[in-house]
Order: sequence, then C-alpha cells, then structure tokens
Amino acid sequence: MQAYWVYIGIFLIVALGFPTIAVTLPALISPRKPNRRKQEVYECGIETKGNVRVQFKTQYYIYALLFLVFDIETIFLFPWAVSLGKLPLFAVIEGVIFIVILLAGLVYALREGALAWS
Amino acid sequence: MADLINVIENWLNKLLLGWGASPGLTQFILQALGSVLVVLICFMIVIALIWVERKLAGRIQDRFGPNRAGPFGIFQSFADIIKIFTKEYITPQGADKVTFNIAPVLAIASVLAIWAVFPFASNVIGADVNVGVLYIVAIGSFGILAILMAGWSSNNRYALLGASRSVAMLISYEIPMVVSLLIPVLLAHSMKLSAIIDTQRPWWFILVVPTAALIFLISSMAEIGKAPFDLLEAESELVAGYHTEYSGMKFGMFYVAEFLHQFTVGALITIFFLGGWTGPMAAHWPILGVIYFFGKAFLVYLVISWIRLSLPRIRIDEMLNLNWKFLIPVSFINLIGVAVADRILLDLEPPRWLYVAVMFVLNMLILLVALYLSGKSQPALEVEEFPHRPVAVSPRTEKSSS
Amino acid sequence: MNEETKVLESFETAVLERFPDWVTPDEREGYQGLLVDPANLIDLMSSLRDELGYDHLTSLTGVDYLPDEKMEVVYHLVKSTGGPILEIKTQLPRSNPVAPSLVGLYPGAAFQEREAWDLLGIKFDGHPNLKRILMWEGFAGHPLRKDWVEAYHGEEKKPYDDRWPEGKARKIEADNPYRENVSYPEGFNPETWIPDTQELLFEGSQRFQLDDDLETEQLVVNLGPQHPSTHGVFRMVAKLEGETVVDLEPVMGYLHRNHEKIGEKNTFAMNMPYTDRLDYFCSMSNNFGYALTVEKLLGENYQPPERAQYIRVIMAELTRVLNHFMAIGFFLNDLGAYFTPALYTIKERELILDIFEAVAGSRMMCNYYRFGGVVRDLPEGMEEHIRKLVYERLPRQIDELDRYLVENEIVVARGRGVGVLTPEQAIGLSAAGPVLRASGVPYDIRRADPYSIYDRFDFDVAVRYHGDVYDRFLIRYDEIRQSIRILQQAIDGIPKGEVLANKKAYKYKMPKGEAYGRVEGPKGELGYYVVSDGTDNPWRYHVRAPSFINLTGLKQMCLGEKVADLVAILGSIDIVLGEVDR
Repeated sequence: MQAYWVYIGIFLIVALGFPTIAVTLPALISPRKPNRRKQEVYECGIETKGNVRVQFKTQYYIYALLFLVFDIETIFLFPWAVSLGKLPLFAVIEGVIFIVILLAGLVYALREGALAWS
Repeated sequence: MADLINVIENWLNKLLLGWGASPGLTQFILQALGSVLVVLICFMIVIALIWVERKLAGRIQDRFGPNRAGPFGIFQSFADIIKIFTKEYITPQGADKVTFNIAPVLAIASVLAIWAVFPFASNVIGADVNVGVLYIVAIGSFGILAILMAGWSSNNRYALLGASRSVAMLISYEIPMVVSLLIPVLLAHSMKLSAIIDTQRPWWFILVVPTAALIFLISSMAEIGKAPFDLLEAESELVAGYHTEYSGMKFGMFYVAEFLHQFTVGALITIFFLGGWTGPMAAHWPILGVIYFFGKAFLVYLVISWIRLSLPRIRIDEMLNLNWKFLIPVSFINLIGVAVADRILLDLEPPRWLYVAVMFVLNMLILLVALYLSGKSQPALEVEEFPHRPVAVSPRTEKSSS
Repeated sequence: MNEETKVLESFETAVLERFPDWVTPDEREGYQGLLVDPANLIDLMSSLRDELGYDHLTSLTGVDYLPDEKMEVVYHLVKSTGGPILEIKTQLPRSNPVAPSLVGLYPGAAFQEREAWDLLGIKFDGHPNLKRILMWEGFAGHPLRKDWVEAYHGEEKKPYDDRWPEGKARKIEADNPYRENVSYPEGFNPETWIPDTQELLFEGSQRFQLDDDLETEQLVVNLGPQHPSTHGVFRMVAKLEGETVVDLEPVMGYLHRNHEKIGEKNTFAMNMPYTDRLDYFCSMSNNFGYALTVEKLLGENYQPPERAQYIRVIMAELTRVLNHFMAIGFFLNDLGAYFTPALYTIKERELILDIFEAVAGSRMMCNYYRFGGVVRDLPEGMEEHIRKLVYERLPRQIDELDRYLVENEIVVARGRGVGVLTPEQAIGLSAAGPVLRASGVPYDIRRADPYSIYDRFDFDVAVRYHGDVYDRFLIRYDEIRQSIRILQQAIDGIPKGEVLANKKAYKYKMPKGEAYGRVEGPKGELGYYVVSDGTDNPWRYHVRAPSFINLTGLKQMCLGEKVADLVAILGSIDIVLGEVDR
C-alpha cells in the first residue's frame, strides 16, 4: 500500500515537473521584446480603464456555499457506500434519510429563490 | 510474451538489482520510470488527439481538416508545437506574475495526476490505492483552481468574467459528478479502481446503472468545459475566456490540458461504466487490456467531440438551472434507489442477470419519471404574442387587384 | 410609374389640404415633396404621425446647398400600413443650421440625426446625445459640406485629370505631406483626449447597493472592436451587473470611409460598383436600389426591358437567400455552435456565388446592374442551372436546416423571450426588414410599395409575432422560402429579349432633380437619396443603410439581458459593418 503512495508522490512530482519544463523551455528559445503597447491588457483594442478586479456580483458565491454543503455530504457518503454490503438495511435507510434531509435543504433553497438569476 | 509490460519490468528489476542497487532504490527508479512513461504517453496521446479532433471536426463540418503537413496532415500537430514553442511570452500589465505563471502548470498537472491511479490492464496498474475514487475527485478539482488563478491574475475583464463563471459552474457540476461516481463504488463495495473493474465482469455498469453513467457524462462534459457547456471560454462573447492573455506555451498548456481532460473523462467513463480494460482475452493477454482501455476511452472521447461539434452553447443561468434543478436531485434520487435496491437484492441473492435487469429497469424508471416531471414542471416559456396586423400593401396594388 | 405618381400626389394633396398653413409644395425643377418651416416641423410631424398615420420615419438626411447658402433636412416618412413615401423638407440657414430634433417623436431618428450632425454639421435641438457617430471627436469639420476638402484634395470631381498632367503621373500626396495635413478642431489635444463613451458609462457605476447591505461593483466591458463576434469592427460598451447588462452604448465608425463624399465625387455610373462595397454580402441588392433610384431621375427612356426586370428580380432574390443563409449560420455561430451550421450554410452560399460569378464575373463585388437594365445577358444554360437550384437544391437544403436547427432546445432556450422589440417600438425605432417583420409588423416594401415587377409575383410577407431573437432567427427561414417561391415564378416566366434599354455608357445626361429609391434589401429597407444638379456627378448621394438604422434599437433590446445574449441579439439583427459605417 505504501509503495502505491510513493508512486503517487513520484507521479505528482513528474506531473508538475513536466509542464514546468515545457513552459520554461520556450522562454529560452522564444524571442523576448516587450514593449508597453504589447503588454497592454487585451480588451478588444480599447485601453482598459478602471480597476478590473472589482467586487463582483454575489450571485456566484451562493453557488459556492451550496456546493460546500453538498460536497461535504458526498464525502461522508463514500464510506457509507463502500460498506453498504455489510450494513443492515436499517443503516442503509439511515443514510437515505441523511440524503433526504439535504435534498429538502436544496428544495428549500430553490423555493426561496436563492438560485434564481435576477 | 503475453505480459509484455511485466516482462520488461522484471527484466529491469533484475538488471538494476544485478548492478547492485538496493531493492528500495530499484523500486523507486522503476516507479519514476513508470510515471515518466505515463506522462509521456499522455502528451503523445494529446498530440494525436488534436489531429484526430481537427480531422473529425473537418469531416463533421463538411471540409477536409488539416491536410497539408504530411499524409492526411498528420504532422500538423507537430508543426503547431514547433510554432507554439517559439512564440513570445507576453505578460499583461498589472498581472499577478506568480499566479499567472503557475496557473498553466497547475491546469495540466491536475489532469495528469489523475492518471496515477488508472488500471490500464489486469496487472498494469499505476497505484491501486484503496481510496482511488476519492483521489480522482480530490485531484480533479485542482483544475478549477487553475482556471480561477488564470482568470484572476490576468487583469483582464473577459478573463475575470470567464473565471467567475467557471467557479459557479464547475463547482456546481462537481456534485452530480461525484454522486454518480458513488454508484459504481456502491455496487463494487470498494473505492479501489481494480475492484470496480472486477465487479464489471461480465456486466458493465453502463448496463446496470445507465442513468448514473449519463449523469456522469453530462456533468463531466461541463467539468471539462466542452460545448454546449463551454461557457468559461465562450468564444463568441468572452473572446477566449480565462486564457485570453496567455501566449506561447503557457496557452499551449491550457490547450493540452483541455484535450487531455477530455480524454481523461473518456478513461474515467471507461473505468467506471464501460468495464475498464475488460474484453475478450484481456485477462490472459494484458497487452490487449491496454488496447481495450485506450480504445474505449477514445470512443468516449469521440462521442464528446461529436456532441461539442453539434450543439450551440447554453447560457450560464440555464446551465446552472439544469444542474441544480435537474441533475442534482435526479442523481441523489438515483443514488437512494440504487442503494436500497442493492441492499435488498443482496439479501435475496438473485442470479446476476436478474440483478442487472432489476437495476437497469429501476434506473431507466427514475430517469424517465424525472424527465417527465421536469417537462411538466417547466412549461414552455410563455412569450407575449403581438396582435396580428394586416399586411402592409400599397394603395395602388389594392386598386389594381380589386 | 404614372400610377405611383398619382397615388403619391393624392397623398401629398391630403397633407397639403390638411395643413395649408404649414406646408408648401417643393416647386424646384425635378423636386417632389413638401417644404415646411423648421418652427412648424414638430407640430407637423406629430400631426402626421398621430392623425395621418405616418408612423415610420424611414430616412433622415441633410443636403448642403452651398450656392443657395441653405442646408436642407430631408425626411422620408411612410405609413406602416403601406403606401409610397412622403417627403418632407425643411430649409435652414447654412451659417447656423439648427433643426428641431425628432427623437421624441421618432426614436429611430437618433442615429440618423447624429449622422447628419457628424457629416453635415446640422444641429438638432433637443437631441439627447448629439455627438459624432461615424467620425471621431478629433475630426475637424463636417466632411459632407461642400466646402470641406479632404487632406489629399486634388480636384473637385472625377474623372480626375490633374494626376496625369501631360501624360506624367504625379502623386497628389506630395502636395500635402503626411502629418502636415492633419487638423484638429479648436481646443482639441489628441494626447490628452479620452474617448467619452466609456467615461459616460463609468459615471454612476462605482458602487451598487444590494438590498441586504451587500455591495457589489459594476463592470464596464468593451465588446469590440477587435472581437470575434461583433461581425467586424463594431463596438459595444456594456455595463454589467454580474452577468446582466444594465447599460449599453454602441460605438461605430471604425470602417468609415465616407462613402457618400466619395460618391459625390464619382460620376453616376462610377457609383454602381461602389455600392457593392456597402453590404458586401449583397452587392446585387445594393446595385438594384441604386439603379432604381437613378432610373427615377433619368425618366421613362431608361425603364429596363422585360427580360432585365426578371433577371434583376432573380438576382436580388438569390442575394436574399444567400444573405439569410449566412445570417442563420452565423447566428448559430454567435450562439456558440462552433462553425458547424455556419459551414453548411456557407456551402449553399457558394452555389449562389457560382451563379453570380457566371453572370457578373465576380463573386462578391458583382457590379451587374446598369441604369436601364443589366450589363449583360445570362450565359448559356444559366436559366436551367438556376431552375435546378431553386426547384431542387434550395428547398431541400432549407428544409434540412430547419430540421436540424429550429427545434433545437438550446436554440429555443437561448432565443425565446430574449431581446424583445414590440411592434410599436420597432416602428418607432425605424427598424426595417426582418427585424421589423419579426416584431409582428408585416411591412415588406415588395408589397407595401412595389418596385420593379414584384407586383406580378405571388408570395406572402413573412411575419412573426414575438419580436424576440428566436423569431428573428425563424423569419429568415420564412423569407428564404418566400424568395424561393418568387424565384421559381421568375425563372418560369422569364422572357427572351434585350437586357439593356439603352446603349452602354460611361456618362449619362442627368436631368436636374432628386430621387429617393428604396428596395427591400435582405437586411431591411435599402434606400438611396440622390440629388442631381444637372452635371455628371451627383450633388448629393445618401444611402439609407438598413444595418445602421436597425442598430438604433440595439440598446432597447439588450437592457436587462445577459452578456451572452448581447452577442445573440447582435447576431439576430444581422449587421454588416461595410454598411453600418459606410
């Protein structure tokens, strides 16, 4: 088992190293003649005005909140799913109830219009 | 001969031990070689895939596709690589340099890392860890981070919009994807990829749980940002989305990551729903298993390309609605149904074919009911019809006709 | 012709009888229409609109009568229920030309008045946003004024002879070297100049308060000019609240080449190939409109023979089919369909371009029509070729496209209820063509004010009743089908005979006068207003470009929609920048 994690570790290093090399190599051979015009931010040929990184619409972050809830839920469900065969039916139903509670939360959020685009 | 890969591995093992390397070092060297090999294969596959995709796009769109560089244009990708290698890097003013440069590396690394746990054949398995599925889910999410980093650091409005969209969209679609991944885990009672593949002999999970497979395909397509879900780089409104400001190989990395991700999704669907490396004679001839594995993954890849080339893009709100109002509820209900049915059938111990049939019917039922209900609850959009006016005619034609 | 004049006269008499104090008939030689004092203009126009039903201001332009020290604003009005044009003119002193703005009555005047201000320097009192539209702010003078000369000015009128004095070529540019010929308006410094379109939008976009104490900021984004889906160099400055558009400002003029000024230097015949460059997809329609207008000036002798009439109609309808195929394909592209539908529609377009190449020698810049006919007859076997195309190929292909695209759920979801323009808005905004008809106004010049031989053909006016993006997409299918019907009748009925009423000529003896001719171009009403002073060159040559005027409604359609819809809406209007910017 441990050998596998060593392999994964090596693999991660290779997976990070390979693209790093691929990205740095052209830096050595490609031309490099920066100038002000060239480095302007692309906005369809018009100079960008004002601050780009503004505090953007909150709409997106509601999705992030909901995602957090559901993602953690699914992580909890993995052990349940793995040991399903060994669990009594009662325990399976308990898991189902857990899911249903969260689905009820989703239905509530939908009813409240939290996910509607204004 | 039958087990070419293991033969080579054993030979290398013996050779290194013979040179006086310790078993630990030998192991390390072999693993490093293996991972470099897999990464190299990934890159080679992408080079081929880009050509295949362009050729396919050409055929679907009633044109030739690349046909200049070499026979059938097969060297087109190599020409592109040479070109992109010699392109100048341009970093826009006001960009966050560190983030800007890390993003492309992270984008491709997050996809590559998934390949560490793939079982290519019965005995050619990278790392057969007992939390394989969890690993895939966890590592795969790093791609979102890369996109967000790219969009935020570019100091560009299109990139920022693309990144904002991508966050909302990718995290949303992660839920149905993970939930539908739970179902193979549930059926195999293991998160080990090799165990999941073993359970799929001879009935592939696509026959057992077609709804889960479908949801996984749809949400994966959203995850990789292919049309009709290509909002994060929506060309026609956001120019190029999050990678607008990238040039040269940094852009190339995003490009490669996109293709590789698509192929990776093909591989994932192969593992979870299409029986992985299984196929005729694959148990005896592992090399055949490798071929089956890549063949199936390639087929799924082509299906995704085909969909991409046929459909227009949907809008961000429609897309999130599809996810939160349809895919998530359906995937959870499907999960409940499959879990309960699996548990009950486990006690009854029916023959395997009956088990598959029951599961199949249950899945289709859930899908059809869900489609029916969603069709009912969302009536066709009511739009106001303007009053009909008489056709505008010239007075002189009126005279002549009357 | 006589019939038309009679109807027109009866219309004018009606106005004269109704408002005897305000209007007088224009009695200059060769002129029609009614003259009104600028002081009475608003009253007259509102009465015309509300009492006599002239609710559609098709065209608004100005003419500089330098010898008389007068500026004239020419208004062309129609009833949206059909009938000929009513021409209203108002004369202003050239030293200080101020006319009352009609934007309050006809919102469609907004861009046209700006254009008249930009090019002719006529001020419109009460216009909410009277800025330059085609030129930039650093442009000195008003180029369509007769006393304005360009930097490399050599001679007043073509054909030039001063560039080859005594057989030697001489570069006129040498007289006036680059950088020395640039002049700016007074008080204008290009170094410190900031384009004000963007500034305007930035005002009031600093903070945006949500209901529950959350603050977000709005984002001002430029879409264009260098943008993949603005169909050229068109620019939209959009203010976004999240993904929703809260303000929009179209900016154009990047492709401006002062078509009209060049047209006034050209001779009448020289303008025919020049009209090709307006809407470069539909050069045949452009030729058609120009030929009709000048034929009105030239009079009875230049009425095209029967065969030429049929050829003209066939070519114009083929152009419409071609243009709508392109519009459908690229609309889908704007929706993000990655070129697949576009390439299939381009395939059909190529077949039609082949015909154009065979008859005119050129695929896009056809230059095929002449005053009094067309330049040459159809080549051998071409009728059979066209017959095959319009009877077999095109109906089949349009059905196939219909099957693939119309019912597509994504297309419906993206198009239904998006970018709605009500009939009242559409008429008020002077929209024309498919945009107007998709809003439930069945106004087609081929029926409403027939020209050429369109009254002989049996076809329906395509109309849709929702006014949204999806309807503007569908109406192009309907129009292709109707065009195919016309084509089938035309190709069956085409007689043998001459194709040109007169001899081929380089110069025409133009009588004095004015003419406004209009055709139903594929993108809408394509109008030409030509004034002749009896010389070889037109005194005034104005193009009423449908793409340009249809854009007046863009802001109206886009407010409240998503960013992604901006592109879809623009695609559904179907603009060509060659025509917008002229």
